[in-house]
Amino acid sequence: MNTILICRDCDTVYRAIPMRRGDVALCRRCDAVLARYFGANVESGLALICAAAIFFAIANLTPILSIDIAGIETKANIWFAVRSLQHGWISVAALGLAFTTFVVPAVQIALLFWVLLFARVGHRPPGFGPIMRLLHRMRPWSMTEVFLLGALVAIVKLANWVPIKAGAGIWAIAALTIVLALLGRCDPESWWSIAPAVKP
Amino acid sequence: MVDCPRGQAMTPLKQSLELSLSLCRTCGLAVSRESLKVDRRCPRCQSRIELRTPFSTEMTLAWLIAGIAFYIPANLLPVMHTSGMLGEEDSTILGGILEFWRSGDWDIALLIFIASVAVPFTKFIAIGLLLLTVRKNSRWQPHQRTALYRIVEFIGYWSMLDVIVVALTAALMQFEVLGAAEPRAGIAFFCAVVVVTMLSAQSFDPRLIWDRRA
Repeated sequence: MNTILICRDCDTVYRAIPMRRGDVALCRRCDAVLARYFGANVESGLALICAAAIFFAIANLTPILSIDIAGIETKANIWFAVRSLQHGWISVAALGLAFTTFVVPAVQIALLFWVLLFARVGHRPPGFGPIMRLLHRMRPWSMTEVFLLGALVAIVKLANWVPIKAGAGIWAIAALTIVLALLGRCDPESWWSIAPAVKP
Repeated sequence: MVDCPRGQAMTPLKQSLELSLSLCRTCGLAVSRESLKVDRRCPRCQSRIELRTPFSTEMTLAWLIAGIAFYIPANLLPVMHTSGMLGEEDSTILGGILEFWRSGDWDIALLIFIASVAVPFTKFIAIGLLLLTVRKNSRWQPHQRTALYRIVEFIGYWSMLDVIVVALTAALMQFEVLGAAEPRAGIAFFCAVVVVTMLSAQSFDPRLIWDRRA
């Protein structure tokens, strides 16, 4: 826990006091969130990250949507969607989609797992600083929840024409969205508070 | 001790400038400016600490102009090409919205309209307004302008919705007889609008809104 808090949005400085579960500290000047109660310990963080890894694997290994017409079946998940955008120079959009819905979530999960695994045994992992900086920079680019909404819109869009079915992947994406949101509340700023207890 | 909204007590102090402190925007540590004179990096996470984001308004403006430039082909060019029993057809984003509207799916039409048309447009206006008022050292409604900045940051990535819908449709509609869908150039421009406007919002330093108030 930092003893001095500075507002990101208006630069006002505060002396922090202990917070209880559910507390959110707001800047008195501009209403920005200064800090949230940080209840996640290393164990629950590890549990969440394992859940995220499993949901991510399911979402990528099972179809999210599928259409079956007279025995001809087409399926779609994140990678199928990315591949379908590979079309001449339009492939830059495929890159954008792959980055925001696959690469960023995968790297986030892998790096947080790495950090928490070391924290569990009381060590600061190799490359802790660069990892935390990378996690901080990647945060706005994770678009799992947008993909979920996109899949739902695609169902409604195509249901008028073809028998479209949602697969196991859509539940995995929904669960992944929730788990990542829970982990995201404990943003990298908060994860630093784990580090001081850890030997450098 | 003063009570803040939502039951949280914090002692409000002063602006970081008066206390000779500076915030590390990466890890949230308060760093004394004295130590920054020796080393510009955060002692905890080694990120470079700037009192204000360098070239914030210039970068924000540059990305904003790029965003507006991409927005035009994103809306004029077709985003998807469909072929099948009903013939060949190119559809644009607005065309797709109209189709949903006519077929009675007004809720989906509204959702896509908000994500694809209204959100980028709102971002252009909002970022433009923020830039203009900061450049003019305006003292007008800093509280409301900061709220506007947070809205722009929050809504930013939802515009990716249409890119995902087109990608999924193209992945699923691969039937020779019934129909096949392929992406078209508009969707690449649309993806570019999302990325570039997000970079624009991230380049903007909200502290500039409050700077000349004292």
